[in-house]
Amino acid sequence: MSLFWVVIRQTAQRHYMAKKLVTMVDWEKKLNDVKVRREDMNKLVMNFLVTEGYVDAAEKFQIESGTEPDIDLATITDRMMVKKAIQDGNVEDAIEKVNDLNPEILDTNPQLFFHLQQQRLIELIRNGKVEEALEFAQEELTPRGEENQGFLEELERTVALLAFEDAANSPVSDLLDMSQRFKTASEVNAAILTSQSHEKDPKLPSLLKLLILVQNQLDEKAIYPRINNFPTATLEERTV
Amino acid sequence: MSEATSQAQSTPEDVIGTYFLDIWRNMSKVAALKPDGTPISAFEMDVDSEEVPSELDTVNSSGGFSVIRPDKLSLLYPSVNLHEHDVGVVQANHPAPSKRLFYYFEIYVKNAGAKGQIAIGFTTSAFKLRRQPGWEANSYGYHGVDGLLYRGHTKGEAFGPTYTTGDTVGGGINYSAQEFFFTKNGAIVGTVFKEVKGPLFPTVAVHSQNEEVTVNFGKDPFVFDIKAYEEEQRAKDQSKLDNISIQQDASYRIVRCYLQHYGYEDTLKLFDVSARTNLSPASDDSLNDQYCTYALNERRNLRQLIRSGKIDDTFSTLGQLYPHVVQVSEDRFFLAAYLSKYYKDGTSAICFLLHCQKFIELLRDAKLEEAILYGRTEFQKFKSLSGVDELVKDCAALLAYEDPSKSSVGYLLHDSQRELVADAVNAAILHTNPAVKDARLCMHSSLERLIRQVTACYLEKRSLEWDQGEAFQLRRLVESGKKG
Repeated sequence: MSLFWVVIRQTAQRHYMAKKLVTMVDWEKKLNDVKVRREDMNKLVMNFLVTEGYVDAAEKFQIESGTEPDIDLATITDRMMVKKAIQDGNVEDAIEKVNDLNPEILDTNPQLFFHLQQQRLIELIRNGKVEEALEFAQEELTPRGEENQGFLEELERTVALLAFEDAANSPVSDLLDMSQRFKTASEVNAAILTSQSHEKDPKLPSLLKLLILVQNQLDEKAIYPRINNFPTATLEERTV
Repeated sequence: MSEATSQAQSTPEDVIGTYFLDIWRNMSKVAALKPDGTPISAFEMDVDSEEVPSELDTVNSSGGFSVIRPDKLSLLYPSVNLHEHDVGVVQANHPAPSKRLFYYFEIYVKNAGAKGQIAIGFTTSAFKLRRQPGWEANSYGYHGVDGLLYRGHTKGEAFGPTYTTGDTVGGGINYSAQEFFFTKNGAIVGTVFKEVKGPLFPTVAVHSQNEEVTVNFGKDPFVFDIKAYEEEQRAKDQSKLDNISIQQDASYRIVRCYLQHYGYEDTLKLFDVSARTNLSPASDDSLNDQYCTYALNERRNLRQLIRSGKIDDTFSTLGQLYPHVVQVSEDRFFLAAYLSKYYKDGTSAICFLLHCQKFIELLRDAKLEEAILYGRTEFQKFKSLSGVDELVKDCAALLAYEDPSKSSVGYLLHDSQRELVADAVNAAILHTNPAVKDARLCMHSSLERLIRQVTACYLEKRSLEWDQGEAFQLRRLVESGKKG
């Protein structure tokens, strides 16, 4: 192809791909045009406090800002007690509390129930109660494992803890981690929220994800000041 | 713009004062749209106003091949068709609005006539109004006689079932997925990628004797469950977010900064206790903290005073406060000098806001005479402040109504007005921090900056994509998931 046509084609491509450049001054004008209501931001924060279960903070926020919580704060306390019980390793206690709150939660959530039983097993092993652990595993967990391949695999992993002298340095040591407790606690938290017809996730993270998504999409078409550090939320000017 | 900048150089806090006066002016304008004092719904406030198709276009319709009934929602082909350029095709009176998730309309086949050559689809303004939609470039048509989809050629593609007398057929544009979708009797029959950009008119066509269709642009409920379709699309869009990961403690730090910024001290204390385990030790925060926790207790107290309507106490607190709060520095002289503008005799925008609020509080307590006297004494001090006339008028207008809450100035009696004043005072105090150079950092929390950024990005993206699709609306996010 002759040089002439190569140049024509490249120029055309550059024009087609050319991104719109928005200066900091112009971008700030656009930002200033956006109207944000304090009420909406307060609701977003309240929603965060409530969904994450910070009852005391939510109550105070209600007083200090006049924002109404979107669910009954009393139900949060119960939920937080369940969460705390699991985080403290008192799984039996947690199960009892969940059933007190709403017996249907565990009935309709076999995976959740299995994970709670699994956590119970982990705690028994952690406390060195080997006999009890084996008995518990065989009576309560194996039958569930027989119904579900996924459960069986997790059960086998958990029981494997008993096979190692130094379980904390074994391939299955992650099960003894606090993070495993947090995982189970989160699962229960979500199930309770869902049973109360409340969205299980706070909305603020969605906002952050939307920002990531839209900035990535806009990057394909324009050059403009981005926000890369969310907690400080400072604009970063682009050098072309 | 330049006046404000030069003012900013000599009296920095006026940048803040002007900013909050602007917010008030905007609230006033919005409230003026509702003379009975009912709050504006999110939908009314944020929706970009576009024209919406409401009836068939009788001005541009094809030369006499079809007849449009007086209600402009029915189309009839009276004669015998002779050839392929005498199609009775009609467009809607406006193109489909594009600043939304999707657009949809339906036709009902009253009579399939001699040959059932009915079509529904979308065409541009350049379309030759004598041809079936889909037969020409940049047009799309789903034809009843053969169930084929035509898009730019006289040869169609297999698409869906045929349709005839008694069927309700719908056509829609999904801006999120960038596709057309068609339905028959409440069920989707197919989708096709939308290549053409720019405004598209809902189009209907009839072509053989006695064919008759009626069109529904939304006046009546649709046969197709459009709400369910919307839910589905929103859920799909929402799931796109699932794979995006964010910094684990970002939300916590943002909420923390919000509480610090606005001075919610008690909430912050309890939040710190509960959330401590979730925050990774971050070196960033010490810098933020320096700005954000400045005068936290004082700001908290002032906010509580203003929210309870205790304006006199607010003034006296401000008057006593500053010798203690301001740190010793060479700027102290300068600071002390312009801080006097916050005192009761000051003439800054912040003082104006406080005096207006006092006036409002007196009226709230039905102390009319005291209010009038107060207003007369104080308002004239602010004659030199630019742009406050409308705001004084709004305040004064409260006197005219027996029940001001049901008027267009009723908004002044809401919490939101107290909040505005509290926010202004809050920002002004933050600005007395000698470590803060940029006044704008005092005006917005990082949460607000993030919200503005995401909104501006969506608007910019949309404008670069032929103005299609929904923009981000905080209200929608906040209200989402509410059942019942």
